[in-house]
Amino acid sequence: MTEHALLVRSLGKRFGSFQAVDDVSFEVERGEIFGYLGANGAGKSTTIRMLCGLLRPSSGRAEVAGHDIAVSPDRVKASIGYMSQKFSLYLDLTVEQNLEFFGGLHGLGGKALGTRIDALLEAVDLRGQRAAVTGALPGGLRQRLALASSLVHEPRIVFLDEPTAGVDPASRRTFWALIRGLAQRGTTVFVTTHYMDEAEYCARIGLMVAGRLVALDTPAALKRDLVPGRIMAVEGPGLGAATAALRAEPGVVAVEPFGAGLHVRVEASVEGAAIVARVLASAGIEPSRLEEVEPTLEDVFLAAADAGAEAKIRAAQQAETLA
Amino acid sequence: MKSLRRILAIAHKEVLHVLRDPRSLYLALGMPVVLLVLFGFGVSFDMDHLPVALVDEDRTASSRRFAAHVFGSGELERVDAGGVTASDAVRLFEQRRAVGVLVIPAGFGASLARGRTAAVQLLLDGVDPNTATQTLGKADAVVRAAGAMLTSPGRGLPRLPVDVRVRTWFNPAGRSALYLIPGLTAYVLALASVLLTSLTLAREWERGSMQQLFATPVGRMEIILGKLLPYLGLGTTAVLLVLTAGAWVFDVPMRGDALALTACSTLFLLGMLGQGLLVSIVAKNQMVATQMATITSMLPSMLLSGFLFPIENMPAPLQVISNVVPARYFIHALRGIMLRGNGFAEVARDLVALGLFASVVFALGVARFPRTLA
Ligand SMILES: Nc1ncnc2c1ncn2[C@@H]1O[C@H](COP(=O)(O)OP(=O)(O)O)[C@@H](O)[C@H]1O
Ligand SMILES: [Mg+2]
Repeated sequence: MTEHALLVRSLGKRFGSFQAVDDVSFEVERGEIFGYLGANGAGKSTTIRMLCGLLRPSSGRAEVAGHDIAVSPDRVKASIGYMSQKFSLYLDLTVEQNLEFFGGLHGLGGKALGTRIDALLEAVDLRGQRAAVTGALPGGLRQRLALASSLVHEPRIVFLDEPTAGVDPASRRTFWALIRGLAQRGTTVFVTTHYMDEAEYCARIGLMVAGRLVALDTPAALKRDLVPGRIMAVEGPGLGAATAALRAEPGVVAVEPFGAGLHVRVEASVEGAAIVARVLASAGIEPSRLEEVEPTLEDVFLAAADAGAEAKIRAAQQAETLA
Repeated sequence: MKSLRRILAIAHKEVLHVLRDPRSLYLALGMPVVLLVLFGFGVSFDMDHLPVALVDEDRTASSRRFAAHVFGSGELERVDAGGVTASDAVRLFEQRRAVGVLVIPAGFGASLARGRTAAVQLLLDGVDPNTATQTLGKADAVVRAAGAMLTSPGRGLPRLPVDVRVRTWFNPAGRSALYLIPGLTAYVLALASVLLTSLTLAREWERGSMQQLFATPVGRMEIILGKLLPYLGLGTTAVLLVLTAGAWVFDVPMRGDALALTACSTLFLLGMLGQGLLVSIVAKNQMVATQMATITSMLPSMLLSGFLFPIENMPAPLQVISNVVPARYFIHALRGIMLRGNGFAEVARDLVALGLFASVVFALGVARFPRTLA
């Protein structure tokens, strides 16, 4: 038994010759909201599937709620809730029937299950849709029902795989309020997302790039460590032409496309705005916006992805020189 | 206790799916009855109302009595030929008013009176060989019977010239529904059970809900039992429905041991459910499952089971293959129980074969049922 809700050690998954998850290690504390971030194909779902006992790891080990996933997968399954990336409740059943079904799968029944379903419907605000056919619900409500059905047995840990994908912003906010409430009551939440704004709600974040966990910390610490220096947000017409010139300028660390414009990262000691303005002027570009901004997780992600790519290239070069 | 709850939860959900989707109910309960009626009436129409014209060139009391007996049985339908002669037969055939013409030649009554063999002639329209064969078979039986009635016991049976040996395809016994219903029951049960079970399992794979089930403590035996039990109930209902419909509409008797029949149909159903399970494991999506289920259930139970074609008339390789077709044993047992009044002792071999098939497919299905995704 450990103190951690999740303990992951050198976990890896290989599909044929493809390493989908590569030597990942981390811990998650009880009641923590742990965000797992990464682009499509980074290995987020694969990690979750291993932790839920759906996939056998190719290497490494993990303990979930104190149970080794390889030794006692059934105990693991009894103590977790899992909301898969693809909506997989039954569209032809009603909201209540879906909840009854998942309660039954966990061995619940009778009055206890009835009370639990009442409480869940209340918590996710679906009381009015109790008898509605699931297929007729809009996306936001379906996600809430999926969350409720993963919580019916009061698991200690829930794994939510991109729970808000394809849902409108208002529904996403409602959903995150639910997640925060869960964590406050002591449930550990492991959530993947590729919405960077959502990641700000997480206590800690793990960044996945191409199967590797390249960074792991609180959002604030990640920004501080991964995005040193200051960020100049630039917008205006014809910026693409100046990108190379900006990169070549001493004091400029990185230039990344960001939204409609660019984020130019400069060393903390230089006069960033002045440098950028001068380079743009010499290229004949008049920016519509040029100001210093706080780094966002998007910047963190871009920096980490770069670092991950560099690390891969370095590793490959090393392998080559060794060979 | 928890395990039972889980199985019941899955079974209950399955019942809800079935109730929500009338197509599966139709497939399991409607189709058998519709097919039964179509097949039953379709074939019995051919057999019972064969229009035959009579040409009585003898015009004696004997010839009239003979004709009355022939047509009185109801097997051949007398069409009014209004004084046709034998040469008019072709015209009747062309107008499709008759499939045969029965000619009683002059001197028929006189021959009988002298105790000699009397001859009658049957002209058949050979355009539709199937109808011709059936008519010949009917006429043979009816004419023999009528002839016997006319002969007094002391003089011996007249040897009538309509002496043919006919193998009738569907029912040597002469009554179609009797012979068809066991085969039809097996055929429809096989198709509906394999198709429905493989589809419901394939749907869970396809939609990703199987993955959701795997993330709960539910075991594979619980999933399999929960998913299949409702279809065992549905299949049993279908058997009852078909047999009841058969008894009502076609007077198919139930002479044997009902318990033996229940045992046979339960084992046969279990085998078909196991086959559906195997199909879903191989197919994992509904489209492939539909094709595989249809081919693996329909073809053997129709062609290799003795339903339409007697097994002893098949080429040797097919006879060998038919040994592993469970429908063969089910049909054999059903015919024996329903028509001959058999009980457990007589169907023991069939029961063993059905039990063996069910055990093998279930063992394979459970062993191959994945517990994890990879
Ligand atoms: N069952 C599988 N077989 C082969 N490759 C797989 C399988 N599952 C996932 N992958 C591959 O592994 C990589 C990581 O996938 P996944 O974990 O789903 O990424 P994410 O959830 O971060 O988008 C992808 O390139 C995907 O194609
Ligand atoms: Mg994913």
